[in-house]
Amino acid sequence: MYHSWWFTLLLILLSVNIIACTAKRIPRIIKLTLPEKNKFDDRIFGSSQINKTIQCHKSLPDLEQEITPLLKTLVSLPIQVRKDDKSYFFSEKGRYSRMGFIFIHFSILLILGGGLIGAIRGFDGQMNIVEGKIADTIFLYGGKGAKKLGFQVRCDDFSIDFYKTGQPKEYRSDLTILENGKPITSKAIRVNHPLLYKGFKICQATYGIAGTANFQIVVKNEKTGKETALTLNLMEKTSLPDSKSLFAIGRFIPDHQNRGPAVLGVLIEPGKAHDMLWLFKDHNQQKRDLSFILKGFDTRYYTGIQVSRSPGVHIVWAGCILIMAGFMLSLFFIHTKVWLQISERKDGCEIKIAASVNRNRKDFEEKLEKLVIRLQAE
Amino acid sequence: MSDTFIISIVTFVYFAAAFIYLISFVFSKKPVAVMALALTVFGITAQTAAFIIRWIHSYQLGIGHIPLANFYESIVFFSWSIIFIYLVMGRRYKNNLIGALANLFAFIMLAYASLSGDINSQIQPLIPALQSNWLTSHVISCFLAYACFAISFGTSVLYLTKQRFKGNPVDILPEPKFLDEVTYKMISIGFVLLTLGIITGAAWADHAWGRYWGWDPKETWSLITWLIYAAFLHARLVRGWKGTKMSLISIFGFVAVIFTYLGVNYVLSGLHSYL
Repeated sequence: MYHSWWFTLLLILLSVNIIACTAKRIPRIIKLTLPEKNKFDDRIFGSSQINKTIQCHKSLPDLEQEITPLLKTLVSLPIQVRKDDKSYFFSEKGRYSRMGFIFIHFSILLILGGGLIGAIRGFDGQMNIVEGKIADTIFLYGGKGAKKLGFQVRCDDFSIDFYKTGQPKEYRSDLTILENGKPITSKAIRVNHPLLYKGFKICQATYGIAGTANFQIVVKNEKTGKETALTLNLMEKTSLPDSKSLFAIGRFIPDHQNRGPAVLGVLIEPGKAHDMLWLFKDHNQQKRDLSFILKGFDTRYYTGIQVSRSPGVHIVWAGCILIMAGFMLSLFFIHTKVWLQISERKDGCEIKIAASVNRNRKDFEEKLEKLVIRLQAE
Repeated sequence: MSDTFIISIVTFVYFAAAFIYLISFVFSKKPVAVMALALTVFGITAQTAAFIIRWIHSYQLGIGHIPLANFYESIVFFSWSIIFIYLVMGRRYKNNLIGALANLFAFIMLAYASLSGDINSQIQPLIPALQSNWLTSHVISCFLAYACFAISFGTSVLYLTKQRFKGNPVDILPEPKFLDEVTYKMISIGFVLLTLGIITGAAWADHAWGRYWGWDPKETWSLITWLIYAAFLHARLVRGWKGTKMSLISIFGFVAVIFTYLGVNYVLSGLHSYL
């Protein structure tokens, strides 16, 4: 469903929607983010988001002295000018706060775009390699056929490690990358530790048993007491010492009748019917004058590795970083502007205050009120 | 002292704190609120100690890992996150009812973790897929987000109660406008944390499974949750919605959170079945 044409179409429609909805707000955001032009303009007073006029019984120079540190704590170090006997202050902070909006919405487009590139040009699939063998073709997920990688992968070894509780602890494949038969690089991959090669990501995905070999069997001649160690592969006949008989392993079962791994031994004596016997690990089995013990065997694993290529992934990560940057701008920065005009009156001064904030107006107004009280205090 | 024993004590500490917060809210008694706060701080300190003890204990068992790796550990951390979010952010609203809410949620989670029969509280070794440095950042950001959403869920339910019913016990509830504001603030923070949780999850998935997004049920449901809260924020910021409609979206969002957290594990199967 997620790879169908209509799902991709929905994602494209979503992108168009985001572009359309954000585009009309962008010019205003840019205008508000650019440096303030009217820093010392009389028209700002009375026409801002927050407007106040207060009287206090202090002299103009005293107030100028007092206001600078107060504005510095409330907003930022103010710029001050004198015009026509009036003193003007302008203080601003968090100018880039609104850019967060643009970052966040643009980042969604980046993530969707990166995803789209990946959906069109990327692929992923799996290949199983038996220990010691080389493979160069993956089978794409979703039954989309096979794909040659252009290089070869050799599995040098596969191992699986368990905790005491029986839970898997580590799956590990020792891989070698070959180009035209020549080894280029080797790496042990584990889950969470993939191999990156030429834009391909090679991950440990699964494993299985490809076969068993080198069955070690000890044969004891009960008459002579002589022991012989044999190493056999499946269906491989061997002659037994001090005897005309032949011995072979006909079958291997990983877990026979819930008693663990077992092999079916076949004892062949010329002119007689074959004798069959199940040999369990470390268990003695007797037939005629001979007793057999299965000592061990080698398991050959295959490793299932996932090979993927996602060309848009860096764009997606760029989008992820940008969205977090956007959130930080929006959350931790508040665009705050304060204009102040002080003019002398008969018994003190008149202070006009204009201010604007793009968020948390209530908090700001409370702080501004405290500043006003400080200014009016004798 | 074993960490699970400390957790069982902390369960009752949170219950007591919730109860005392409620009393201080109903009777507007400040000293009582201080006591509730002290209990809450004591609770989270003990819980943090239990977390560290469990962490050390896992190393003693030879399977050392941060205790954020199975269902028991996740639900215990969920309760820790709620108290943490309350102490860091919820307390700014200076309303004891929010303290009662946070402690109540934390209590319910710990009680469920201790009493439910099918939750294994033993320290288990990390399966290969979980052996990653991304585990810590992914789990912490997700559960801090869930904690914010839990508190906003609580304030939304209170909002609807306040709007729907009149009369004695309901009248003492805080002003609807205040509840609405807390819901909005909590969701704003939670949304950012959820985004971070999804991003760290995607980075981890890319490393472990070779793809950053694979429409695994947990991934799909976390996206659905994200979209619901994105809709909430847009309704507020673009359309100026307030009140009942917003509370309903918030409750709906928290249902999605719970489904992402639990439902996906119990109902759907996927790569996150270990949580």
